[in-house]
Amino acid sequence: MKKIFIDEQYCIGCRLCEIYCQVKHSKSKKILKAFREDQPGTLARVLVEEIGSNSFAIQCRHCEDAPCTGACISGAMAKNENTGVVICDEEKCVGCWSCIMVCPYGVIKRDIKSKKVASKCDLCFDEEEPVCVKNCPNEALKIKEI
Amino acid sequence: MPLKLNQSEFVVERDLNKCISCEVCVRQCSNDAHEYDADDKTVLSEASKCVGCHRCESLCPTEAITIRKKAAEFKDNSNWQQAHIKNIYKQAETGGVLLTGMGSDKPHTVYWDHILFNAAQVTNPSIDPLREPMEIKTFIGAKPEKLEIEKNDSGFKLKSKLGPHLELSTPILFSAMSYGSISLNACKSLASAAYSFGTFYNTGEGGMHKDLQHFAKNTIVQVASGRFGVNRQYLRSAAAVEIKIGQGAKPGIGGHLPGEKVTADISSTRMIPEGSDAISPAPHHDIYSIEDLAQLIYAIKEATDYLKPVGVKVSAVHNIAPIASGIVRAGADFVAIDGFRGGTGAAPQAIRDNVGIPIELALAAVDTRLREEGIRHKAAIIIAGSIRSSSDIIKAIALGADAVYIGTAALIALGCHLCQKCYTGKCNWGIATQDPYLTKRLNPSIGTKRLSGLLRAWSHEIKEMLGGAGINAIESLRGNREHLRGINLSEIELSILGIKHAGQAW
Amino acid sequence: MKAFSASGSAKGMNIKMVKNKNILNTDYLIIGNSAAGLSAAENIRKNDKNSPITVLTKEKYSNYSKPLTTYYLAGRLEPGNLYFKKSNFYEENNIDLKTNQNVVSIKSSDNLAITEQGNQYLYNKLLIASGGRPIIPEIRVIDKTGKTLSLDEAMSSVKGIFTLTTLDDAIMIRKYINEYSIKTASILGGGLIGLKAAEALLGLHLNINIVELSDKLLSASFDETASGILIEAIKKSGSSIYCGQTIEEIYTENNSINSFKLSNGRKIPSDLLILAVGVLPDTGYLKNSGIKTDAGIITDSRMKTSIDNIYAAGDIVKSHDVLSGSDKNMAIWPIAVKQGEVAGSNMSGIDTAYPGGFLMNSVEILGMPMISLGQSSIEYDDKNKDLKVYKSHDTDRKIYRKIVVRQNRAVGAILIGAIERAGIYWGLINNNVDVSEIGENIVKEDFGLIQLPADYRKHLVVGEGIEV
Repeated sequence: MKKIFIDEQYCIGCRLCEIYCQVKHSKSKKILKAFREDQPGTLARVLVEEIGSNSFAIQCRHCEDAPCTGACISGAMAKNENTGVVICDEEKCVGCWSCIMVCPYGVIKRDIKSKKVASKCDLCFDEEEPVCVKNCPNEALKIKEI
Repeated sequence: MPLKLNQSEFVVERDLNKCISCEVCVRQCSNDAHEYDADDKTVLSEASKCVGCHRCESLCPTEAITIRKKAAEFKDNSNWQQAHIKNIYKQAETGGVLLTGMGSDKPHTVYWDHILFNAAQVTNPSIDPLREPMEIKTFIGAKPEKLEIEKNDSGFKLKSKLGPHLELSTPILFSAMSYGSISLNACKSLASAAYSFGTFYNTGEGGMHKDLQHFAKNTIVQVASGRFGVNRQYLRSAAAVEIKIGQGAKPGIGGHLPGEKVTADISSTRMIPEGSDAISPAPHHDIYSIEDLAQLIYAIKEATDYLKPVGVKVSAVHNIAPIASGIVRAGADFVAIDGFRGGTGAAPQAIRDNVGIPIELALAAVDTRLREEGIRHKAAIIIAGSIRSSSDIIKAIALGADAVYIGTAALIALGCHLCQKCYTGKCNWGIATQDPYLTKRLNPSIGTKRLSGLLRAWSHEIKEMLGGAGINAIESLRGNREHLRGINLSEIELSILGIKHAGQAW
Repeated sequence: MKAFSASGSAKGMNIKMVKNKNILNTDYLIIGNSAAGLSAAENIRKNDKNSPITVLTKEKYSNYSKPLTTYYLAGRLEPGNLYFKKSNFYEENNIDLKTNQNVVSIKSSDNLAITEQGNQYLYNKLLIASGGRPIIPEIRVIDKTGKTLSLDEAMSSVKGIFTLTTLDDAIMIRKYINEYSIKTASILGGGLIGLKAAEALLGLHLNINIVELSDKLLSASFDETASGILIEAIKKSGSSIYCGQTIEEIYTENNSINSFKLSNGRKIPSDLLILAVGVLPDTGYLKNSGIKTDAGIITDSRMKTSIDNIYAAGDIVKSHDVLSGSDKNMAIWPIAVKQGEVAGSNMSGIDTAYPGGFLMNSVEILGMPMISLGQSSIEYDDKNKDLKVYKSHDTDRKIYRKIVVRQNRAVGAILIGAIERAGIYWGLINNNVDVSEIGENIVKEDFGLIQLPADYRKHLVVGEGIEV
């Protein structure tokens, strides 16, 4: 499967990954609309952590043995055996936050703007390359086949 | 509010129809020109802090930002130009020497732009470099007096003994830029591009960082007046050694890396105490004559077992031709001449803009002088000081250079926008800074790709121009001034350059 | 792989037994159709593509998530949407599901499981994952004439008293509320099920009384502050909470509950009572099986019981608590799933150890998300002098965070209101990470991976990631 690799020494903390992730998961998929008109707005599924000059962007690692899938009480969080991508079926999710409780990366968010659902990276499965990787200006995120 | 005589240099235009308040600009500006107002959820900009580096503009995801030059606010005056007035305001306020970075931006004549290159028509065929072999390989070092070749059973063999030399896949090297003046990531980019492309970079007076030792075979190490980082191992690990006498942007001036920039890493690379000022004296205090220089050259040759070319870098000054002659006679294997438009990390503006001579004239004068004295073959000539394009290079080769150093062009390839604020240490592009928040913006793997891209593109263009002129090896162009013509130049300029005016045939 | 290589005797037995039409022959028999049972079945199928797998459930439903039953009660989900494995799960994995099969005894010497419905299942390997049963406390149930029943007896005869662990329970409660237009409901037990029930019933606009024996809600995992925040919110919603109380007597009228008396003597009218005191491993039917039990089935680290070809997983097991080092019943979903996986792997020949787990819960009540992890209720005191307890409490925003650190290792956490990134604490606890260098930053709302010890962070961020 494909995996996003993080090169923290070159993350510049610009947060363009977060911005493009929001756009990608917005209704219109257009940056100006996504930030101005689309309501409720979308959450970024990648998040940048920063203290001083240290920073990195992290998103779901799509773990081999993902704790979130084992904790999910509704069967919404599941790993696709073919692609290896862990996806939250937002229709099925009931917002119990068990996944948030056990994700050691802390990369699942509570999306409570419309329906209560766990929001997480879907690896942009319908794109050639995840938008966070594509739009990182410093190649601090890379996607590689493993 | 204090009296403010100097107004902002730039206008920061923000198209509020496009700004999404994502704060990328806020995070990217090391000069704090942008600020997020949490109450209004808008980003405000303070133009007076803008240095015109265009970092924010480059990263803005909606193209909401435009940095424009602020229109002249003084009454037109051809004598008292804006720059004079602004500088006086500044100096009256600070009482200090005006510092600046990069090469001179003054409108002196750029001779490259007054020289035209030739092409073959009818009487000799032009060559397509994509279909036929084209050699731009270049050697830097002393050439033998004559070539003796002997024939034996297996064929021909070179009998003459060749001195040490550098082999370049293209006649382009990266200029001396020290770790300290530029970031380690910038150094890594240069070193690794030189390594992968088959050319050389130059440590400047910064010593060789341990992470760069891997690239030692593509490294020219410098010995300058502060002797920072110099020891036997440093000299022996490199491909060549360059004694730095002067720099085009500031002839006669030393260097000063303030103590706060001498981090642990820089201190160990330069072999000086952490936090101490790194002062490169204006002169080498052991070189007051050509004879003294010869001593240092031979001391280095001794230390390196005569296995490495040893060169001398000087600024292009009025007496450059006899100085170069002296350097060659002192035993240098190459002479590097840096013209007055050459770059710098920090120089007094008065010196940068007013001292020295253009590299084109210096090169022509030196090449002519060495030929006249019959010693041109004893050393290679590398020129520096604002090589902006492949056509500058081909003109330089035809004027007599063996190869060129590129500094500013390389930094531009890495993202430099020539804001000339290198001396502030706040380079938003991660080049001229040691601030870890900023240096990480330059990913050496991207830097290497971009520098290699530039070398590849220029090399290709050089081949195209050579081919157009019906030449299939750069060696045949070297010093062949018949391929050049001047335009809009006076008799004296043409005579110094040793070229005919456009329209004059052979 | 061949799952049962010592099959000489078993094969012989198969031939003999096959004559009885009520005997079904399978390789892997799984009792229990919930988290542990199905994760085991799935894992067995991963390793053994062909051997028959049979799953027994005493319920009539295919599969549904027990924690979702309160979502049904609240009217947020329809019964058809409670499944956690898709309806084609059994088909896809070639698993034979038998509903309405209540196992009443196991003859381990004959490899037989016998059901109330008269069927016998002959297995090579058996997994017991039949879960727990609700505790029925000893309370006198008195009618108008003074006739007294035990609560256990009254459960089947008196209307309006329910437990709440199965979908059938929830369906009956909802039906009862609608049929009798119930206005007031009471819940005995301020634990997780009690609170989830309370929330669901509040959504149906009922008046709620919560009776809790201890002086805190969620007393197993919450400290006084956390419980206080919860009590305040529940009271604000219009419910009454009686802490430090239990129900002494239940009064009925017309064979329906009408009121009850608290231990302090106070009498409270109520049309409905939900017993949410807790659940216990339901090991009754294993009495003569030879399987060792002690407050749950005792297993080794491979989830194997005292009998070689019998495994157990989930709520019925006495599990290893990595934080206390002791074994205890820990009836939570993630542990059931993990144990099911481990049991399934071992049953199908892949040697896997269950490392143990710790208690945790995530629940959102009245719009307040709450997570507790590990030893979260303990405080620094004379008994716990090796603790460092970090707390932050923002009363305006109703945010409470507490991290318990013992000997430089995080052992517990409570997060109310701001639960984002709670799993980072789970990781720290699970991986036994030295958190001494983090100091009090560990409790801050913006605590993130970047503050983690460099090695652990590198491992997470640029390394291969965590091993779970």
